[in-house]
Amino acid sequence: MSNTYLFDYSPVFLGVLLGAGLVGSLLLLARLLAPRRREALKGATYECGILPVAGHNWMQFHVRYYLFAILFLIFEVETVFMFPWAVILQTLGNTAFIEMMLFLAILTFGLAYAWKKGVLEWER
Amino acid sequence: MDLGLVVPELLLTAFVFVIFTVDLLSSRKRVLGYLSAVLLVVLLVVTVLQTGTGDLSGGLYLVDTYTHFFRVFFPATTLFVVLFSIDYVAKRLRYPGEYYSLLLMATLGMVLMAGAGELITAYVSLELVNFCLYVLAAYAKFDTKSNEAGVKYIILSVAASALLLLGIGYLYGVTGSTTFREIAAALAQQGSSAGVLAGLVLIVAGLGFKVAAVPFHMWTPDVYEGAPTPVTAFISIASKAAGFVLLIRLFSLGLMPAIDSWGPLLQLLAAATMTVGNLLAIQQRNIRRLLAYSSIGQAGYLLMGAAFLSESTVNGILLHMTGYTVTGLAVFLCVTVYQNLTGAEDLEGYAGMAQRSPLLALGMTMALFSLAGLPLFAGFTTKFYLFTAVAGHGGLGLVALAVVNSLVSLYYYLRVVRQIYIAEPAATGRLEVPRILGTALVVLLVLVALAGVYPYPLAAIISVAVLPLGLPG
Amino acid sequence: MIPIQQVLTISAGLFCLGLYVVLARRNAVLVLMGLELMLNGVALNFITFAVYRDPERFLGQIFALFVIVVAAAEVGLALAIILRLYRLRRTANVDEANTMRW
Repeated sequence: MSNTYLFDYSPVFLGVLLGAGLVGSLLLLARLLAPRRREALKGATYECGILPVAGHNWMQFHVRYYLFAILFLIFEVETVFMFPWAVILQTLGNTAFIEMMLFLAILTFGLAYAWKKGVLEWER
Repeated sequence: MDLGLVVPELLLTAFVFVIFTVDLLSSRKRVLGYLSAVLLVVLLVVTVLQTGTGDLSGGLYLVDTYTHFFRVFFPATTLFVVLFSIDYVAKRLRYPGEYYSLLLMATLGMVLMAGAGELITAYVSLELVNFCLYVLAAYAKFDTKSNEAGVKYIILSVAASALLLLGIGYLYGVTGSTTFREIAAALAQQGSSAGVLAGLVLIVAGLGFKVAAVPFHMWTPDVYEGAPTPVTAFISIASKAAGFVLLIRLFSLGLMPAIDSWGPLLQLLAAATMTVGNLLAIQQRNIRRLLAYSSIGQAGYLLMGAAFLSESTVNGILLHMTGYTVTGLAVFLCVTVYQNLTGAEDLEGYAGMAQRSPLLALGMTMALFSLAGLPLFAGFTTKFYLFTAVAGHGGLGLVALAVVNSLVSLYYYLRVVRQIYIAEPAATGRLEVPRILGTALVVLLVLVALAGVYPYPLAAIISVAVLPLGLPG
Repeated sequence: MIPIQQVLTISAGLFCLGLYVVLARRNAVLVLMGLELMLNGVALNFITFAVYRDPERFLGQIFALFVIVVAAAEVGLALAIILRLYRLRRTANVDEANTMRW
């Protein structure tokens, strides 16, 4: 450990100080400057200019939508891997093809699993 | 690419799917626990017979003696966790199929963490472990505490991963590579800079969360208390070890040229971790919270070794980690069995345990003495190795602090032992320990005693395991 | 070309914004959104470094892909667990989840 050790860290310390200062001053500014006036209409949900349908923004959706959404999200995002793969498939050849098929097989297994467990059934 | 090198990893992956499939097709769920145990034994046999070493895909995954040691270490740990999960899961949890497959999948992630020679691989394996643990921590579906543990764990852990990733990003920006060896070469060439330091601080924070080092330990007690007991065992023993395994691999292969920058940082962290962990353990009433803080203390000792990274200290770290794992498994086996039979969670519940089950009481006592580092038990010998190695590299002050901390820890371990032997039991009647768990406990206790009295074979294996890290002295 | 500092500032800003949300918000779902922002900042960081510092191998871009995928899976998992807690406790506030203390 040399004498300049602490000095070497000064950018880091500076960063920490700046970050803390920024967050702190922003919080303080919001406290000081923001006018606080309550009106009923301000609490209303903003739906591109028209009056909200449900009245409040914690309107409940049926929870089953959520499972579909999650399943969709996972499967959709996994296709991210297929774009780079498709671009260079020709240069990589057979190994890459087999690897992707394996990946898809695992995904399909996941789908089959969800199916068998009854995630896709609407009525239960 | 030579897939023959990674047969154990592939086999473990296949086993995960085997359990999923059996769970889907069969209706006899109790079989699943035993099936997982058998599969793990098969895996261990196959792994021990593996001898090949080499790099995969240009250093993405390194198969060497270090990896090999841990692909025996982690499945063996999981085997014991599976064994004492069987009754617990049957009695208190639903969905055993996913439970065991997630345990095995987490084990796979841990093995991959040990072998990763590159940051993307390391990150993905780390997240594989984390994902399984989030679900397992929240596994008691209708228990508020378990759900709380899950929420806290996932939110804090993702925040920690984000910090880790930011650090990795800066390191990558400075060195232009993600393989450990190329990072080391670049660092040796250009020396340290603000970017490297920022990266190092963030990486230490991210990995510090995983091993529950002190400023980043806030999740530990809550998750340990809330999660189902076998899962607590798994998180506190295996997942913590995996964090250290990755940390040592990354720091020795990749960041060694910058040791002057991160060494003192880890020293500070180690001192804080062992002191805070042991001091807060004193006032705990819940046995799992007590063990949580005590395991934070143990992490402090290991971090102390990592701060003076060298061949002898890594030897000490791995030895102490192995000793701690065997001991911790014994403690948690007793805690799980006892909780399963009596429902005891608090220290008061342990009153008179010796009268109700001498075997469990003996197991708890031996294991707690070993954790405290009393002679004749594993904890003493492995601590001795570790502390001497650290002292030999100039960490005398820290070692003194660690010794004081060990004395403090003796105090709260003795409080538990007093409850077990001296306090009067609230209920009477002998407790029937299932035979398979009794056997497992005896095996663990023999290992604890053996590692305490005759640690040379283990030390010999470990000294071979650390060779590929290429550390000085 | 835009100087690297500007892009890095944006990614650091995204990260800090996310961190602020994580620290300041109580609703678990909002905290989750903050985490996503942090991860997005990180991904942008990787892509920036890949373009400016590592144009031949693009390792950072690969890393960014993995970050995106992992983040998506994480949201799915976290939402499931938060929903579970909500059903038991009727609240999604993080600081009301306080059955356990010290």
